[in-house]
Amino acid sequence: MSQGMTAIQEGFWYLLEGAWVNLIVVVGALIFGFLLGLPLALGQVYGGKILRRVFAVYVWFFRGIPLLVFLFLFYFGLVAWLDINLSAFTVAVIVLGLISAAYQSQTLRGALLSIPEGQMKAARALGMSDFQAIFRVILPQSIRLSIPGWSNEYAILLKDSAVTYALGVSELMSRTNHVASRTYQHLYLYITAGILFMILTYAGTRLMGMLQKRLTVPGYTR
Amino acid sequence: MKNGLRCLVVVLMAVMVISGGAFAAEKTLINGIDANYPPYSFIDKTGKPDGLDVMAVNWIAKEMGFKVKHQPTEWAAIIPSLKAKKIDFIASGMSVTPERKEQVNFTVSYYQTVMVLVAKDISALTVDQAINGNLKWGVQRGTSEAKWIEDNLLKKGKAFKLQQYDSAPLAMEDILNGRIDVAAVSTTSAEEFMLKGMAIRIIGKYGQPDDETAYAVRKEDTELYNKLNDGLKKLMATPYWQELKHQYGLR
Repeated sequence: MSQGMTAIQEGFWYLLEGAWVNLIVVVGALIFGFLLGLPLALGQVYGGKILRRVFAVYVWFFRGIPLLVFLFLFYFGLVAWLDINLSAFTVAVIVLGLISAAYQSQTLRGALLSIPEGQMKAARALGMSDFQAIFRVILPQSIRLSIPGWSNEYAILLKDSAVTYALGVSELMSRTNHVASRTYQHLYLYITAGILFMILTYAGTRLMGMLQKRLTVPGYTR
Repeated sequence: MKNGLRCLVVVLMAVMVISGGAFAAEKTLINGIDANYPPYSFIDKTGKPDGLDVMAVNWIAKEMGFKVKHQPTEWAAIIPSLKAKKIDFIASGMSVTPERKEQVNFTVSYYQTVMVLVAKDISALTVDQAINGNLKWGVQRGTSEAKWIEDNLLKKGKAFKLQQYDSAPLAMEDILNGRIDVAAVSTTSAEEFMLKGMAIRIIGKYGQPDDETAYAVRKEDTELYNKLNDGLKKLMATPYWQELKHQYGLR
């Protein structure tokens, strides 16, 4: 028991730094995933037949293959083949972002489709172009509706980010193993890692909840 | 919200540029280590790489005039990492094997590892029982012992089950948990584990020839190969080398 506590005490800052790395990876992937997921969603809802088909293939591809396979494929395969030397950290952000884009696009697509069709017609009747109607009327509402989905996505990405230890990203999971290999207190250290992940998940989903409340339009019902 | 998002993007880009820039500014050679392999290479209390190989490479780098960084790398993927230029060499208790020799160049050997089976300290198992019985063995994935056991015991009809682990300490953990009966490790690791108070004992050698331990370099990287090889030879001629071995519990 006391040996376990000593191990946790000694390794705590080292682990905390690792948790910070997880957080940066996740925030990076969420942003990258959003920037890519938004056009994917818009294309799937408003695009022509070919665009829809292409985007659907993207979503199908990135949802259909395990994260670990993508990580290895990018880190050792693709990136080495193209002869660009990206760090494990960068590859982790890119791969998680690409996968997240597929999921985020589906969240957004659902939100876009949930806005009554009449709004689009009304906006057009007021003289807005399609583009204006989407960006001024439909999207601001859809993005608000997507927040619970992002909250979910954040929690999933956070847990997925632990898998990047396989590339040697210096995140919480690999650091936990480092400390455990030196002190042999595996049980205590994995518990610590679990608690740190739980705190991060809780804090993130709470933040999203607050954001959602903040952005709610008073009196607005669907 | 829009501004917040923009800020985050800018911060993220800055992080990427800085982390990328650090690589480009000065050519620091990267030593890929198994950070879960004490006493050869591990992470110390302050979060810095430590171990016999880490200290030895630091000495060599100073002597031969290059900068070095020790990068924890997943062991099973360490040779692909070397070939993909994610790391520049491997100094982390790596055994010389014919298969690895086809992939990389090895320096002179600096240590001979003896591979043994360990079991719980209260276990009365013998090596013969372990090899010919219907037991469970543990081994670290991607190691010379994993390969040797598969080729020379399992493929020759032995009936035991081989369970592979990400690191040697995890295999030890499962011996204590009773999930496996024995594990194959080097005497160096086994002694380190016992020193740290693990309730295990060495039950004996299981037939694998002694491993030569050396540093691995990409085949085309002759300049670095010479630096490491000469540096290592110089180091082994100094009293510091004996000190190091003593400090990290190697004979």
